[in-house]
Amino acid sequence: MPESSTSTENLILLLTQHQEQLFRYIFSLVPCEADAKDILQETSVALFRKFDQYDTTRPFLPWAYRFAYLQVQKHREKSTRLPLLFSEDVMDLLANERAHIEPQLDERLRLLDACLGKLTPKDKELVTGRYALRQSAEEMMRRFDLSRRTLFRNLELLRQRLHECVSKQLESEGLA
Amino acid sequence: MNLKSLIHAQLDGQITPQQHGQLEEFLRADWQARRLYLELADQHARLLQQPQIGTGRLPNPTLESAKPPKWQKFIPALATAAAVAVAFFLWPRQSPPAEATSNGVAMLSQTLDAEFAQNTLRSGDTITPGTIKLAQGLAQLEFFSGATVLVEGSAEIEIISTWEARCISGRVRVHVPPAAKGFLMHAPGMKLEDLGTEFALNVQNETSAVRVFEGEIIAHSKDKAPASLTEGMTLGDTTDSFLPISELQGLVKQREAQRFADWQTWSQATRKDPRLIAYYTFKHWPDDRWDRLVNNFTEPKHKNRAGGAVGARWTEGRWPGKEALEFKRPGDRVRLNIDGTYSAITLACWVKVDSVDKKYNSLLLTDGYENGEPHWQIYEDGSLMFSIIYRPENAAKSAKYNQMYYSKPVFTSDSLGRWHHLAVTYDNMSGEVIQYCDGSEVGRAISSLHVPGHKITFGPCEIANWGLPTQGHEFPIRNLNGAIDEFAIYGSVLGPTEVLALFQAGKPE
Repeated sequence: MPESSTSTENLILLLTQHQEQLFRYIFSLVPCEADAKDILQETSVALFRKFDQYDTTRPFLPWAYRFAYLQVQKHREKSTRLPLLFSEDVMDLLANERAHIEPQLDERLRLLDACLGKLTPKDKELVTGRYALRQSAEEMMRRFDLSRRTLFRNLELLRQRLHECVSKQLESEGLA
Repeated sequence: MNLKSLIHAQLDGQITPQQHGQLEEFLRADWQARRLYLELADQHARLLQQPQIGTGRLPNPTLESAKPPKWQKFIPALATAAAVAVAFFLWPRQSPPAEATSNGVAMLSQTLDAEFAQNTLRSGDTITPGTIKLAQGLAQLEFFSGATVLVEGSAEIEIISTWEARCISGRVRVHVPPAAKGFLMHAPGMKLEDLGTEFALNVQNETSAVRVFEGEIIAHSKDKAPASLTEGMTLGDTTDSFLPISELQGLVKQREAQRFADWQTWSQATRKDPRLIAYYTFKHWPDDRWDRLVNNFTEPKHKNRAGGAVGARWTEGRWPGKEALEFKRPGDRVRLNIDGTYSAITLACWVKVDSVDKKYNSLLLTDGYENGEPHWQIYEDGSLMFSIIYRPENAAKSAKYNQMYYSKPVFTSDSLGRWHHLAVTYDNMSGEVIQYCDGSEVGRAISSLHVPGHKITFGPCEIANWGLPTQGHEFPIRNLNGAIDEFAIYGSVLGPTEVLALFQAGKPE
């Protein structure tokens, strides 16, 4: 365990800086918000314990991803929702693929904000309800007077539109 | 299901084990499938963490954590200080929404008969850099630096920053407290640097005249050395008189008193409307020893429909001298008991909402929620929400009988802290609910659950809260954060022109 308060401070700084990226990495392997958050915490604790082994001359994220990956596997072993979790081989494929395309993913997020601004008022309300207010499906069904099926269909279309908008932007910038 | 739909079902937690198996097959077999999945998952993760978009909605909605923090169980493994540090960045992190921002530099604090070229300007508005043309009347601008500028129409003023403005034409009077020392007022041919003072400036036909009433200003004129002007000194042609400061304050007071008197006259007449079930004007009786009476003013009198304030404090209403009740704490409310059954109702009130800070923010709710009882509230997104329930006996528990009606959002950061007139009408035959804000329709709908002919009842109910909790149970906190100074309940539907008339008769300005 690290002794000095400086190393703790360093870790906190690094984690604060990178926790969104870590969360996104974990979420891609375990696409369930609550689980991904738990794993992020377990990862942070693991990083804290092993921080004395961190070579400060090397980038932090790849090192942290290894811990995250291990914590994802641990989570998988003890999870009761196994049928809904990816198998180890799929996770492996996803983690590898993600390492390759991470710069593009970051680029996409940069463009996402502009695309959010272009949404119709109706879509903005959906985003606000689903993501900012964290409303339950039942609440949103009541709120927008939609059946469950239509609500999830609309959410799918909304995210699909955002994805396409970002892809178009990338193309026009010659980055795709 | 195709790949896309499978991915979205996974993200929304709607996927079945069988579909999950299909998704895995896709991901295993095809790198393009993996790429699409990774892009969509990443986008979803980002939205979960940073969901703020410029919707013009209420800023900073309260995010509720679905799960209790789990980090406690790791504490034994960590040095306490480190645990605190780790916890510090981990748990307040329910992805704090981006802070709301504004590019305002001043606010329009008071107006009198003001007519602006930008005819949407109202007192209380935040002013962003740009030119303001005042055709007539008086307007007081308070710069965020602390400087106050009174402008008389016709005038043209350019707002440059919190520290700088330009008088292009017209009469202005500037007051600069010590904190705003250094405030700059430009005028044709000169620049006035204020050293904490009060001065007046007239600009007519591109020529400027200045008079200092108090303190000191430095006048920088073209081709001349900066000149200090102190109390009583003038610069330029002073044949035109300067704008006196007392004018706005005095006239605004006079105008408010007039509006209050007009409303009182109107109120005296309207309380005889036979359609009124109850009418509360929130008149504070100085000789009410208990200080808690919220009298019902309908004529003929229905004393049993008088309300009782709980917790709420008396405060100023729409005008000086007009009282209101302010609701701040979870217990604040006005208790009512309204007898009778009705086939149509109109609820109308004047309310100043300070913050929409709860999921449901009460206007008028019956105790509990029994058949035929109306609930009227402000929803967390700033929309008005009216609901009424009819559940047949022997109805299945899962069946839905709650008719809910939402208006479009009316409370935004811009409409908070001001007096607004809200109204809703409901007819038990047509089932139509029409909602109004400041006399304009903001929602109209008939619920698909509506069954004609069910009676409407109130019974024990309350303004600005929802009670009474049954003994030993926790109650949801739904108190209004704001003030109410008039509340009317009618036993029939008021038409759009009548609702507009209610607004016109009571609007503050």
